[in-house]
Amino acid sequence: MATTEVTSEVIGSVWKVEKAAGDALAEGDLIMILESMKMEIPVEAPVAGTLSELKVAPEDSVEEDQVLCLIES
Amino acid sequence: MPDRKLEDGKGLWADQIDELARRRAFTAEMGGPENVARQHRAGRLTVRERIESVTDKGSFREIGTLAGTGEYDDDLKLKKLTPATYVAGTARIEGRPVAIGGEDFTVRGGTSFGAQRRKGGQGGYIEDLAHHYKMPLINLIDGAGGSVTSAKRRGFVVFPGVDGFERSVGLLGEVPVISAVLGTAAGGPAGRAILSHFSVMVEGTSQIFAAGPPVVKRSLGQTISKEELGGPQVAVKKAGSIHNVAETEDEAFAQIRRFLAFMPQNVWELPPVLPAEDPVNRREEALLGIVPERRTRPYDMKKLISLVVDRDSAFEIRPAYGRAVITMLARLGGRPVGIVANNPMIYGGAMDADAARKQIHFMELCDTFHIPLVFLVDVPGFMVGLKAEQEGTLREGMRVVYTAGQLKVPTLTMVIRKCYGMAGMATCNKNDIDLKLAWPSGEWGSLPVEGGVAAAFRREIAAADDPKAREKELEDELRAYTSPFRTAEALGVEEVIDPRETRPLLCDYIALAEQRLKIGLGPRARAGVAP
Repeated sequence: MATTEVTSEVIGSVWKVEKAAGDALAEGDLIMILESMKMEIPVEAPVAGTLSELKVAPEDSVEEDQVLCLIES
Repeated sequence: MPDRKLEDGKGLWADQIDELARRRAFTAEMGGPENVARQHRAGRLTVRERIESVTDKGSFREIGTLAGTGEYDDDLKLKKLTPATYVAGTARIEGRPVAIGGEDFTVRGGTSFGAQRRKGGQGGYIEDLAHHYKMPLINLIDGAGGSVTSAKRRGFVVFPGVDGFERSVGLLGEVPVISAVLGTAAGGPAGRAILSHFSVMVEGTSQIFAAGPPVVKRSLGQTISKEELGGPQVAVKKAGSIHNVAETEDEAFAQIRRFLAFMPQNVWELPPVLPAEDPVNRREEALLGIVPERRTRPYDMKKLISLVVDRDSAFEIRPAYGRAVITMLARLGGRPVGIVANNPMIYGGAMDADAARKQIHFMELCDTFHIPLVFLVDVPGFMVGLKAEQEGTLREGMRVVYTAGQLKVPTLTMVIRKCYGMAGMATCNKNDIDLKLAWPSGEWGSLPVEGGVAAAFRREIAAADDPKAREKELEDELRAYTSPFRTAEALGVEEVIDPRETRPLLCDYIALAEQRLKIGLGPRARAGVAP
């Protein structure tokens, strides 16, 4: 089992979270949408696996490289 | 009288020819089998293997083959020759002449060859050759520069800048200069790597810094590995000191050849045009589906570029640095172009300090070598926020505007979506005839309606019964004026086009630009003080 940290590429806030902890993910699945510079920034699963932990919730502020969630695969 | 040598049964000049062969053999041995094996074990090629790999087979003609330090016996006969730490000469790449040189790490770690400055390094013979023969220069860098031990050999210490980088600096306005960092580069060789038009380093086997870990330890007390201090994570991604990273030395050589294919031999020539194999009239249906109608959704600008330029022609410069802007060399109808495109995936394409630096260097590169620029615009403005202000975004951003305003090379501006404010100004050269074209998704102005409304109508919105509804009402009212067709009515942009017409139109204008490029040949004039 490997754990993959999914990080934010941008400073901004969490707009919508589309998946819940425990959900199975295929590579490229949309996990959440961030908002930054008035744009919707999709956060997609970099690998297939199980979403083991969500580290943020809607309206949270996020920094660059902040860990948003963990995927076990 | 018969020649004595012939009587001996030997050919004319036989001893001298033997000595030449012996001296050449010493040079070919480089630092000796053990040092060569150590270089290979470190995952690196020797400088001679590198030159063979990057240039056309058999085209290398060495200069200074015999330079080195000789050891002589009591009869003043040569016992041994330690070759100079730099190998240089001329060669061909795709048949075109280049000057090429690099440190030989197997000889004294590639440290400067104190006895003869012109053999290697900054201000060396190879740079003079590139200057006088007006051909590109390729630096294969694998050395740490001067060594304090050379002061002992020389008897004095040299003053910085005397026999320094004068030639390296001058070359940047004359011929393409390419640097590959292929080992640990510090000091002079590191500086020289930066004084180039394109630079590449190799993942895992190369590092670059002003000074390495021992100096850092001594100066700041910090313990840090050379990879942490100057590997690609720092030098390419964070600092942008080196443009591109390659997985292997061979890939670095491929990148050098790729870059060079877009460049003229010097600033007095036009860049090379290839036969147009991809139809110039190709209308790409997929372009219609790229930009989402919902304004807040980003899209893949790199895919857009790949649909427009000649198939497989794009070569991205600095993909890992300043990612809010994409800079690529590519071809349209076989003709080299420089693509500057905003990346809506990164902060909506807002220009930050890194993106600004990247765009400036790329525009100057294209302007210097007569490569027309195509801007594919989707920029909401300069990046905002405390971090952006601390990084000097405003000043760096205005340097882009300044540089764009001085471009002499033809520019074509194609607005894909947003083009706002001063960052928008940096996407075209308004002093000239250059065209501003737009897709129907294009929108522009001094500032976007959202936010702009909140600022300009602050009191009116606050006084309304339903402030949110009033703000929306005002936004909708003003947005009607932002239609690109209304600006086109006023000839504020020259054309609004169907996205599928993008490639045929750009190919045609780039072909038309040739006459303008021809009359602009020569070195680029410099004026003014950059902000």
